Amino acid sequence: MENKQPKVKVQNLTKKFGDLLVLDNLNFEVKEGEFLCIVGPTGCGKTTFLNSLTRLYEPTAGEILVNGIPVDPKKQNISYIFQEYSSFPWLTVEQNIRFGLEIKKTPKAEADANVEEMLDVVGLTKFRNYYPSQLSISMLQRVAIARAFATKPELLLMDEPYGQLDIDLRFKLEDELIKLWKKTGTTVLFITHNIEEAVYLSQKIMVLTNKPTSVKTVLDNPLPLPRDVVSEEFVKLRNKVTDLIRWW
Amino acid sequence: MGEKQKRVFFGAIGIFVFLCIWYVATALTALGTVMPDPITVFTGFFTAFVEPIGTHSMTMHILISLRRMLVPYIAGGVLGVLVGILMGWYRVADAILMPYIQMIRPIPPIAWIPLSIVWFGFSEGSKYFLIFLACFFTIALTTYNGVHSVDETLVRAARMLGAKDNQLFTSIVLPTTVPYIFSGLQVALGSAWATIVAAEMIRSSEGVGWLIISGQETGDMTQIMVGIVAIALTGLLITSIMRGVESKLCAWTVRGK
Repeated sequence: MENKQPKVKVQNLTKKFGDLLVLDNLNFEVKEGEFLCIVGPTGCGKTTFLNSLTRLYEPTAGEILVNGIPVDPKKQNISYIFQEYSSFPWLTVEQNIRFGLEIKKTPKAEADANVEEMLDVVGLTKFRNYYPSQLSISMLQRVAIARAFATKPELLLMDEPYGQLDIDLRFKLEDELIKLWKKTGTTVLFITHNIEEAVYLSQKIMVLTNKPTSVKTVLDNPLPLPRDVVSEEFVKLRNKVTDLIRWW
Repeated sequence: MGEKQKRVFFGAIGIFVFLCIWYVATALTALGTVMPDPITVFTGFFTAFVEPIGTHSMTMHILISLRRMLVPYIAGGVLGVLVGILMGWYRVADAILMPYIQMIRPIPPIAWIPLSIVWFGFSEGSKYFLIFLACFFTIALTTYNGVHSVDETLVRAARMLGAKDNQLFTSIVLPTTVPYIFSGLQVALGSAWATIVAAEMIRSSEGVGWLIISGQETGDMTQIMVGIVAIALTGLLITSIMRGVESKLCAWTVRGK
């Protein structure tokens, strides 16, 4: 772990909307293959942070480097899973998963293999010809996850993807995510307001402050996988993160 | 009985009840003096397939009217989709073209008859012009609305998967717009077919609209009703075909329902 190169390097990232300073001089690094969860108080600008990181919003100042070069989703293999359901309604499950591969003009044989693998991993092989309107909420999120992993992204960004799911489903999809992350070795940045989710998934937890947002601290999460949410160590770490976020 | 069969069954019952009421009303009331009963009308309709009305059989009248409708309908469809996309995608085009479209759209096609005769004479051109007007604006505006209805989340998702502007257009904007285009085509098809009578009021000697106009001139109520039945049944047929095409091309909007 210690020898790994920084995958993402954020230097002095600042974002203003008019006079409103949202992100205030953020600096951090994420190592290759790391699973980083980002938590912070409600409304602290977590989504703005991720959108600035991917240049969906142009940062006001600062630099974001992926593999040492300025981030650009057109040139680098980055995937993003949104809070909202983002499956393309006119494409079947299989076509949705294939979408990113076609955009990137991946050779057909490789694309076919990736799609089959992803359909299998997320358990949607039987539903490959279904349209999103025919799927349940959990299946829709699985499609988004499979689509994101199908391109074998070097960086995966997730913005509260399980925020609208009930607890059983959430744990199930979180387990699937860990399985995929271990299998692919993708670097993951996962935003959540759910501290338990952050402790359950992450290798590191970055705590953000209230607006204007800066990095309060980055904690290591040494708990072995799979994690037990009622174990003493788990609860201890969860309480520690809660105390760091608490602003009251 | 499945949903589809139920729909057909109750639809057939509705038509049957309507025909019975029509028959009874013409047989027992004064309506019979100004309107033929359904048996006479449908006999006249089917007979017209073998015995010509004017110079043509019913098949030819329908085909001639369909050609008169389809040529400007296709032109209006192609141009409407292009203008709708242009206005939806480029703000400058929207600013320039939208005022004209909003001004001209509410004018009923029939109001253009005198001008169309002056511009295109009594030829097919004047008929094409009227039907073109009946469909172009509807298709342009529904396409425009389709381009504007593109879900921002899907655009962001595609961008994050590396899509460039041209790929965004072909893989997100166009598919989003297709159901809107079909909805416009469907409405415009009805308007275009309904305008056929108005178009065939401009000197013609054939077509389903002419059947009505000619029936009016000779006081032949049965021929008028035969013309109306021909318009209604052909209209039903072409809108059903269009719906079939739509359900194939937009399976994703229909299947889930």
